[in-house]
Amino acid sequence: MSHDFIPARRRILTAAAGTTVLVSSPGFVRSAFAQPNEFKIGFFIALSGPAALFGPTQRACADLGAEKINKAGGIMGRPVRLIFTDAGGPPAETAKSAVRLMLEDKVDLFIGSHDSATREANIATIKAKVPYIYSPVYEGGECSPNVYCLGETPPQQAQPATEFLAKEKNAKAFYLIGDDYVWPRKSNEQIKKYIAQYGGKVVGEEYVPFGAPNKFEEAVTRIKGIKPDAVIATLVGADNVNFNRTFAGFGLDKTIARLSMLLEENTLMGIGAENSANLYSCMGYYANSPAEGAKAFKAEYLAKYGAKAPQLATIGADCYSALNLAKALFDKAGANDMKKLTAASEGLSFDSASARVTMHGRQVDKDMYLASCKGTEFEVFKTIKAVKSGTACRA
Amino acid sequence: MEPVLVAQALNAVFGIASLAIVALGLAVVLGLLGVLNLAHGELVMIGAYCAYVAQVNGWPYLSAVPLAIAVCGTLGYAVERWLVRPLYQRPFDTLVVTWGLSLLLRKCAEAMFGLGYKNLREPIAGTVEVLGATYPRFRLVLIAVSVVVLGALFLWYGQSRTGRRIRATVSNPDLARALGVPVTRYASATFVVGTCLAGLGGVLIAPLVPVQPFMGFDHILMSFFVLVVGGLGSVGGLVTGSAVIGGANSVVSALSDSTGGYFFVLALAILFLWLRPRGIHGRG
Repeated sequence: MSHDFIPARRRILTAAAGTTVLVSSPGFVRSAFAQPNEFKIGFFIALSGPAALFGPTQRACADLGAEKINKAGGIMGRPVRLIFTDAGGPPAETAKSAVRLMLEDKVDLFIGSHDSATREANIATIKAKVPYIYSPVYEGGECSPNVYCLGETPPQQAQPATEFLAKEKNAKAFYLIGDDYVWPRKSNEQIKKYIAQYGGKVVGEEYVPFGAPNKFEEAVTRIKGIKPDAVIATLVGADNVNFNRTFAGFGLDKTIARLSMLLEENTLMGIGAENSANLYSCMGYYANSPAEGAKAFKAEYLAKYGAKAPQLATIGADCYSALNLAKALFDKAGANDMKKLTAASEGLSFDSASARVTMHGRQVDKDMYLASCKGTEFEVFKTIKAVKSGTACRA
Repeated sequence: MEPVLVAQALNAVFGIASLAIVALGLAVVLGLLGVLNLAHGELVMIGAYCAYVAQVNGWPYLSAVPLAIAVCGTLGYAVERWLVRPLYQRPFDTLVVTWGLSLLLRKCAEAMFGLGYKNLREPIAGTVEVLGATYPRFRLVLIAVSVVVLGALFLWYGQSRTGRRIRATVSNPDLARALGVPVTRYASATFVVGTCLAGLGGVLIAPLVPVQPFMGFDHILMSFFVLVVGGLGSVGGLVTGSAVIGGANSVVSALSDSTGGYFFVLALAILFLWLRPRGIHGRG
């Protein structure tokens, strides 16, 4: 090989190093532009990895929420600044970013819209030193101090949905399939109780490795052999798309009802209209939700970002809700103090992206919507008012 | 036989066939040129997006094949000419270059199509009865196409004049060059064929998997295991590797669950790298 290559490579290396330094300039360079009085929020969203699909919506919703709060005088009279940080990588990486945000940026609050494995790593790192709002759908039961959860829990999602499957679809035999991590396993523990409560039985339960190149032909064939009346899937993202496509490809969609515990607009788009028959979902937010609050939120969102706005979905809308919770919580507590915040959170009302909701035991009671998939759209056919979270953390 | 058993057996055949068709391009490039193309998965991804473009524009599904060949072929030519050719005999540098290329291609796909999952309709939908088991038609078609493509390649590589010259180039490039074989041109052509096959694999699997910019990673991982087990440089090695990896994955997944299947595949790959690094059909 010719040696005149080497200087060129060195130049490239130097240029690359320079760029890297600029891009990853540490907190103190960036905070040189900061105002002294700001209320800083370390905001965990997915900027990399497969979940980065949700990143644009998360950012857009959060920006909309922050803009509204700042117009209304900020949080405790201080202007809000969001520091978006990637939570799309391994949990330990995100936890490292949390340390940096605490020590360098000295954030006043964390908001996280990411998976439960990352939440557990973050909580172990933050150690209640900074309040932490966890916004997406989750397995429930999170009572660590100074943590406030906003998402739908299994009692809110699975109880009404299992009741519907048992009573309306006459489902007796249930098959559970999920990704192998904390959310599916803990959710299924509770789902099994509801199945028993409504007189059904679990005829199969299996988990697929989380983040592995999964294929579902074997699982679907197994399900076909067992012939359950309904399948409850706690699969996420690409696995959820892949499973549902394979399921319908094998023709099982005609005879077996499916309930997906995390089904939102992007995933449904991937599953596709010809694979979404007999598929149900129960969430607290849909982009075309009939709730007045959701309609108003959507109108504001579209007014700000126009027709090319990132697809609205529950992951994203939760970021907007979390900011509203932050404002209500801190304004009521009057100080960034764990005891005051915890006390203020009890019975606190605020506007989520869907409707006015109330926090109890640091969880949110909310209206739930049962929806069936019509093509690549959700059609809400039942609203269940003010469903309790089932978790009540002590003060 | 029990319909479930028949279906699981077909699943194993499908697992092997889909793996072989996806790994084929990587096998050609790594086996013949000694270049581990880490952007192989992204070429599969581009093939899948070609199928998506065809669907969005209302073109027939088969039109995705020439489209993928054109796109991946052009890309393959450019990559070989300006990135890989200066780096032959420098395997680690090639690894880094193709890894960088894979990141770039992923970002390009993200910029053009966004991160959302694309949903492709199966061109041949529905199911068909096979020995009492209902099986999706398109998966059976994919099995047939894989057999035809692999068979044709096997015959062509073993019998044709070009195949002989490529084999000469691979085993002793200097001697081949001395005998008047245009080594550089053959290397370029081989690389282009490899990338075109990757694109073709993408077109074939697109309706069966979530199509998104990150999909390439899943496919290069399993393809790499196939080559580790099967060995490099022959169609037989590719088929054996696919049969072992795809078959083991399917059978263990059917008997226990996907975690078992994935564990078994990883264990097999480690065992082969440790005890038989050249694979079952490895040269030399």
